[in-house]
Amino acid sequence: MSSVESSGDGGKWLDAHYDPVAGLYTFSSCVDLADLSGDRESRLVVGDLGTGSSGMKLKVYRGTALISENTLLDLPAGLVAFFMDLHEPRIPAVAVASGPCIYVYKNLRPYFKFTLPSLDVNPLEQDVWQQVREGQIDPVMLKEMLESIRKKADIPLSIRSLRFLSLEADEADEFVQLHKQQPIRRQTVITCIGTLKKSTADEDGISCLVIGTESTDVFILDPEAFTILCKMSLPAVPTMMDVTGQFDVEFRITVACRNGSIYILRRESEKPKYCIKLSSHPVGLVRVGKNVVVGCTDESLQGFTQKGKKLWKIILPAPITTMAPMDLPTRGLQAVLVALANCQVQLYREKNLLSTIKTPDTVTSICFGRYGREDGTLIMTTKGGGLMVKILKRTAVFDDRDSTPGPPVAQSVRLNVPKKTKLYVDQTLRERENGLAMHRAFHMDLSRMRLAAVRAYVKALESSLTPISSSLSEPLKMNAVVQGLGPSFKLTLNVQNTASCRPVMNLAISFLYDDNLYRIRNPYMRIPLLVPGLIYPVETFVECTSDKGISDIIKVFVLHEEKSSPLLTAHINMPVSEGLMLN
Amino acid sequence: MGLFDKLVGWLGLKKEVNVLCLGLDNSGKTTIINKLKPSNAQVQDIVPTIGFSIEKFKTSSLSFTVFDMSGQGRYRNLWEHYYKEGQAIIFVIDSADKLRMVVAKEELDTLLNHPDIKHRRIPILFFANKMDVRDALSSVKVSQLLCLENIKDKPWHICATDAIKGEGLQEGVDWLQDQIKTMRT
Repeated sequence: MSSVESSGDGGKWLDAHYDPVAGLYTFSSCVDLADLSGDRESRLVVGDLGTGSSGMKLKVYRGTALISENTLLDLPAGLVAFFMDLHEPRIPAVAVASGPCIYVYKNLRPYFKFTLPSLDVNPLEQDVWQQVREGQIDPVMLKEMLESIRKKADIPLSIRSLRFLSLEADEADEFVQLHKQQPIRRQTVITCIGTLKKSTADEDGISCLVIGTESTDVFILDPEAFTILCKMSLPAVPTMMDVTGQFDVEFRITVACRNGSIYILRRESEKPKYCIKLSSHPVGLVRVGKNVVVGCTDESLQGFTQKGKKLWKIILPAPITTMAPMDLPTRGLQAVLVALANCQVQLYREKNLLSTIKTPDTVTSICFGRYGREDGTLIMTTKGGGLMVKILKRTAVFDDRDSTPGPPVAQSVRLNVPKKTKLYVDQTLRERENGLAMHRAFHMDLSRMRLAAVRAYVKALESSLTPISSSLSEPLKMNAVVQGLGPSFKLTLNVQNTASCRPVMNLAISFLYDDNLYRIRNPYMRIPLLVPGLIYPVETFVECTSDKGISDIIKVFVLHEEKSSPLLTAHINMPVSEGLMLN
Repeated sequence: MGLFDKLVGWLGLKKEVNVLCLGLDNSGKTTIINKLKPSNAQVQDIVPTIGFSIEKFKTSSLSFTVFDMSGQGRYRNLWEHYYKEGQAIIFVIDSADKLRMVVAKEELDTLLNHPDIKHRRIPILFFANKMDVRDALSSVKVSQLLCLENIKDKPWHICATDAIKGEGLQEGVDWLQDQIKTMRT
């Protein structure tokens, strides 16, 4: 158990097998799982690239053991297992694409070789070589002529001519002597391969092969006769493809191309139906349900609809090495496995990271599916040629928490808005019918309110109730509080400088009052420097000298030294002195 | 053994024991149970079990009722519902399937940690089956891979078997019978 926990995937995977020296050098396009012996146990079929120049092999694994090896003539570009006939027992054939050919293996024995049709040869080039054969021109002349054809012609030169042009002068003669008798041919090579069910969606239905070529074409081949059923052209060279649907009904081929675009081909259209332009080159293409997930060289993973609309984009912690779909219908799980250059394999559902698997080496190929008798098996090969098999635990649960920053989940929860009531409907109807009258009434009320506000403001200004200095250089605010029952009152004036940063200096307060009625202890007070924002209480005591139970207004002036007009005036309605009446 | 038990034995009425037969799919559970039945009750074709089936067979002193559970992944969550009734467990392992030994271990660990099993001294009999297959693991290797030495609070026993020929089955059933008898007395 501890070894599982330490691998950092939250204990979701069982480590079934790891052979660091299996000597498997391959990519995801050359790995497939298939029940090759009809005993309901799936085998792992791998097109091994060997050292890249030798040792290419078709390898088959059963459980932990290698059970078969066939030598391949050329580097495999892709490998698929497919049903090519209806014979019982249902055993799939294996198609290996390499160079311009597809090698089909049945029961792990070579069965058929399909070669792509050769391309048109430039007639000028043909003429030139014809003249060489007849001895009319020498190699130097030939070189010049081919060079000029290469620059001008729209049909590219054949491999032979290109090879000739790259040779040194001393080798050229020999090369011409060796090859001039053979007719020139132009051959394309296969870049990617996929399968497409012919007429039924059954698991073991007959499938057509779909191949993408360097000549920017996509061919669909008949599985029995190996004739070309359909040819479609693309604007660029395809590198990866995903095929879905049935040939006889409706199908969709999603192709990632070398020009950094993704094209979507459909039945009965020779040209791409939709195009997705990516900001950088695609390195992985996986279809999940109806959406396409693309991994790019700029360390991003992007989701698109099947019509090419961008859904989301996330940034990954490291460059992507390969990608594969993880589809487990029995548990309703559809996700994308992304292998990264930092020795991690991350599992994404939509844009949410579900789990991370740490691997001892960089993973170069991933394949998820039924291996042996276990449905949820993850097979990976590493850069160092290792083979790793992990089995998804029966009890593993992937919780779909949103790890990406963005709007919280609550935002997308629909509010339980009640149905429209009759009252609401009546009100809307009324509003619709009497809109003009309501608008006029509203404007009338608005004007009245404005008038009332202006009146109140004027009144406030006249009586200086809550006075505010109108001077821009000394914006001041003051309010007054009278405390006490009498005959002695405490008068507190709260002065505030409302300027944003400028202090106010040289202010004074003086009072204007009836000296028969009141006596103020300090009728003239200097105000200290006013720091903006702070409230300064200025206190003084007022004594009522009358015993007749009358009161009067005391006027307060805030004055600036050297200025005759006050900055601010306030009228204080003094309360009736109750103290004297009690006496 | 009490007088009553002897009497029961004379009358041919044997004690009933409920046994659970567990293990991964295609490990040979149904084949083993089929071989333990009297020869006239054996069936020829063994098909993958759906859900579970109940089989009965008798030994010299006990009458076994076996719950032959399906080992397919989607039915494995049924197992735990029968843990309470089981008085013994037969766990069958496909010795030739090295890849899925971790899955067998995982299921065994889940079984041993289940609250209905954990604190009971319930005997567990392991059948390391398919010994006839050429590259099958030995019973010692199987017990190492499953970490059987860690089971300290339950009596257990492992037998190398070949269910098609019936080799090794009787040894295991005899052990199980002894264990059940000692538990009762």
